Amino acid sequence: MDHDLTLRAGTGDGRPADGRYPAYCELLIQGLRDADVSLVTAIPESLLRSAYAALAEAASIRYVRVANEAEMPGICAGAYLGGTRAVMIMENSGLRQACEPLTRLSWAHHIPMVLLMAHRGEFGERNWWGHNHAQTMEPILDALRFPYWHVRTLDQIRPAVRKAWDHADSSQWPVALVFGGDCVEGGQVAAR
Amino acid sequence: MQRVEVLESLSGLTTADDLFTSAVGIIWDDWWNHRPGGADNTFSPAAIGSVSALALGLAIARPNRRVIALDTDGSLLMNTGILCTLGAERPGNLTILVLDNGIYESIGGSPTLTSFNTDLAAMAAGAGCTNCVTVDGIETFETEAGRLLSDGELGLLVAKIQPGIHRWAWEDRKPTDGVEDKYRFLRRMERQEGIVIHPGAPQSHVSE
Repeated sequence: MDHDLTLRAGTGDGRPADGRYPAYCELLIQGLRDADVSLVTAIPESLLRSAYAALAEAASIRYVRVANEAEMPGICAGAYLGGTRAVMIMENSGLRQACEPLTRLSWAHHIPMVLLMAHRGEFGERNWWGHNHAQTMEPILDALRFPYWHVRTLDQIRPAVRKAWDHADSSQWPVALVFGGDCVEGGQVAAR
Repeated sequence: MQRVEVLESLSGLTTADDLFTSAVGIIWDDWWNHRPGGADNTFSPAAIGSVSALALGLAIARPNRRVIALDTDGSLLMNTGILCTLGAERPGNLTILVLDNGIYESIGGSPTLTSFNTDLAAMAAGAGCTNCVTVDGIETFETEAGRLLSDGELGLLVAKIQPGIHRWAWEDRKPTDGVEDKYRFLRRMERQEGIVIHPGAPQSHVSE
């Protein structure tokens, strides 16, 4: 949910009006390159707003916009079976939407996938509608038995993204990264 | 036109070099017996609604291969957003075949929404997909499938089929489970393309 009228007024995928991306965006793209990720599928949301624009412009990334998070596990699983590492990026509410195909592709087939989600509802959240995203996120990840790591400082981004794919492939099981703290738009609420 | 006829016909139009995804249920055994070359070139996700999404990921990963999704009305209806994504991406090496019998046949025959007012080819065309065609006879299927498989563009072919289940002998039924399917597909892909997808052991002996 984007209330920034400047960005809404015509900067495409959410590219910052001054053309300068927040530091986390470049680190994320570097991490994806480190991990040999060449496909990202996503539905944009506000906490990683600049990242979606940066990914859409990144030369090394095929950026696939989808209509529903439930499409993402299939796309990423197909890419993996074809020899391409992919990452799906969403708000943590998207985890709920994607739950069924995530469950089936992991539990029935042991297909590794990497989920990257923004931590909406992190401590300090000021939107009433965002709290349920956080309240359900970890219980769902636990129920799915998906290991997950919180990425909250800039220095964690590159190694976390690289290790996520190593971990997923060697375990043949999905893993999730939860971006919050300094690793989302504006340093996010917890940094205030 | 029956499902097994369509799949037999498709088998004649494709080769072991092509890649397939398929829906779950009765189609498993039909395609297991008709897949070209008897090769491990089909992945059948136990995820209804993800057949065409998986094919899209595969088509992007392997632009050098033809990828064919064997989807169904029940499966595609579960996740119609993928039509919009396909319409935006338009991979030229991908053909979506939708076997549309208008019912959930594998679980007893309740009608799907294509038995009412839903036209999947029209939906796909409206979502931006190219070459969206509906056929209801085996001759027109062969003609259109042959065209869509060779035109180098995204295609979506809805085959209106009659209900009917071919009963395969026990020994002819697909014997593999989902994890085995993954490994068979993955290892064949590695051999076919000369790539490493899942090394099994770390490729570097230097521990970090």
